[in-house]
Amino acid sequence: MTFKEAVMQTPNLETAWQPGLQALRAEDKPHIKAENTRRLCGSADVDTALLPKEPQANRWDFAIGYQHKNRKDEFIYWVETHTGSDDQIKVVLKKLAWLKTWMRRDGQHLASFERDIIWVSSGHTLFTKGSAQVKTLAQKGLIYSGAVLRIPSERRP
Amino acid sequence: MTTLNIRNVGQITNASLTFGDLTVLVGPQATGKSIALQFLKLMVDAGQVQGELSRYGLDWSGQLPDFLDVYLGEGMRAVWRPGQSSIEWAGKIVDLPQMAARKRKAKGESLFFIPAQRVLALRDGWPRPFTDYTPGDPFAVREYSEKLRVLVEQEFGAAGDLFPQARRLKREFRDLLQKNVFSNFHLKVDKVRSQKRLVLGPGGGTENLPYMVWSAGQREFVPLLLGFYWLMPPTKVSTRAEIEWVVLEELEMGLHPRAISVVVLLVLELVARGYRVCLSTHSPQVLDALWALKHLRENRARPEDFLNLFEAPNTQPMQRLATSAMEKTIKVYYFNRETGATTDISALDPSAEGQAEAGWGGLSEFSGRANEAVARAVANSGREGRS
Repeated sequence: MTFKEAVMQTPNLETAWQPGLQALRAEDKPHIKAENTRRLCGSADVDTALLPKEPQANRWDFAIGYQHKNRKDEFIYWVETHTGSDDQIKVVLKKLAWLKTWMRRDGQHLASFERDIIWVSSGHTLFTKGSAQVKTLAQKGLIYSGAVLRIPSERRP
Repeated sequence: MTTLNIRNVGQITNASLTFGDLTVLVGPQATGKSIALQFLKLMVDAGQVQGELSRYGLDWSGQLPDFLDVYLGEGMRAVWRPGQSSIEWAGKIVDLPQMAARKRKAKGESLFFIPAQRVLALRDGWPRPFTDYTPGDPFAVREYSEKLRVLVEQEFGAAGDLFPQARRLKREFRDLLQKNVFSNFHLKVDKVRSQKRLVLGPGGGTENLPYMVWSAGQREFVPLLLGFYWLMPPTKVSTRAEIEWVVLEELEMGLHPRAISVVVLLVLELVARGYRVCLSTHSPQVLDALWALKHLRENRARPEDFLNLFEAPNTQPMQRLATSAMEKTIKVYYFNRETGATTDISALDPSAEGQAEAGWGGLSEFSGRANEAVARAVANSGREGRS
């Protein structure tokens, strides 16, 4: 199954798939830099698509599909662009919890893909790579990438 | 601010350094940090360097390659490539071959250099004289060793405690070092038959530990402590008047993070006393401290916040140190192995687009990879179809 097919077969995301990074809000696009944009398999704005169904939920932002040069299967980057500050950690962890629950419940097709779950800072950040906060996030399965997510053409095995 | 530009010297293709009150160089091994610092010494102290080399009978026949071999160490002549290499100091091109050809008038020293190999300065617990080394050993090591010998023989000749000493370092520093480096041992001058030696032992006790059974960190730290003693004399004047610059290579050598904190604080004490200090480091903790310092300054933090960072006591002398340290300019440069060039990463911005700055010159690179490895394992655990 491709990323595009998985999105289209997911409840409430049937029309959310867009080519390249077109599903992203304009303000989010500068935070994503793909080494080879032709390897992008599309994107989906999860937050907007699920707004009518779960207006009160801490919904995750979006998913980006990518075909790495050295991988057989497509890969999903689950990305949340959010202010990178201490007082937002709880909010983003709530979003992460929502994403995990939603993947188990409705997003099973998408959950079968190998993934990175990433918090991209939408503004200035004070988190350093070695900080306890970033390590705490890692233990929950969340990569804090700083201001930019760089998607490499090849991934380490 | 003073600038040093180095082109095509050793591993360096283009290093452009503007010095602050505190300047820190980071980068992988063998990227030219030490060469840059030794050339800084040469720019500041050419006359003193040549005078010392001559005094100990070293002759380079006016030839730059031979001079570089005696100054930087055997085989280091290769770092200078005629026609390609150049150095610019304080906005002026320096004619290095001419500098080597014409002996400058010997004058006082303005830059005190504490080399990374400082552990070599002690043998069997006593500083080695300049002449104890081979002609191929770097000048910086031999010179530092000789200074420690003179200091210990002239100022600590009699048996007794070198550390702690009432008139050496602030009481707060003595307490921090006692706790974090010496574990309540005292550093003393002892005699075996007629031979003096430095030992560690309980205050007032006689069960002393000779040099070879000290911890690796203590062996590394004692030569550094003596350097701090030399720079902070027990007089009303808090500095050596003739010294403007201090270079300290790899302050973290052999030390636990708690001890590193104390040494960083001692470095800031040097800066507060008016020395211009240049460091090289492989310790992310040093950059953590500078990053914190920058933000404390920007947010007009209280001296107490600074002191909490270093777990230092909140006393008036330490408050004065904190206030002064937070006013100083700090520059940080990354030496890039791939390009041979330097990058100014003084902003230490974790959200910077450039990896050199966001990853603090590679010092937080492993930490970042560790985070990613753990996050990926957690995010993909239990995934359907996971092989």
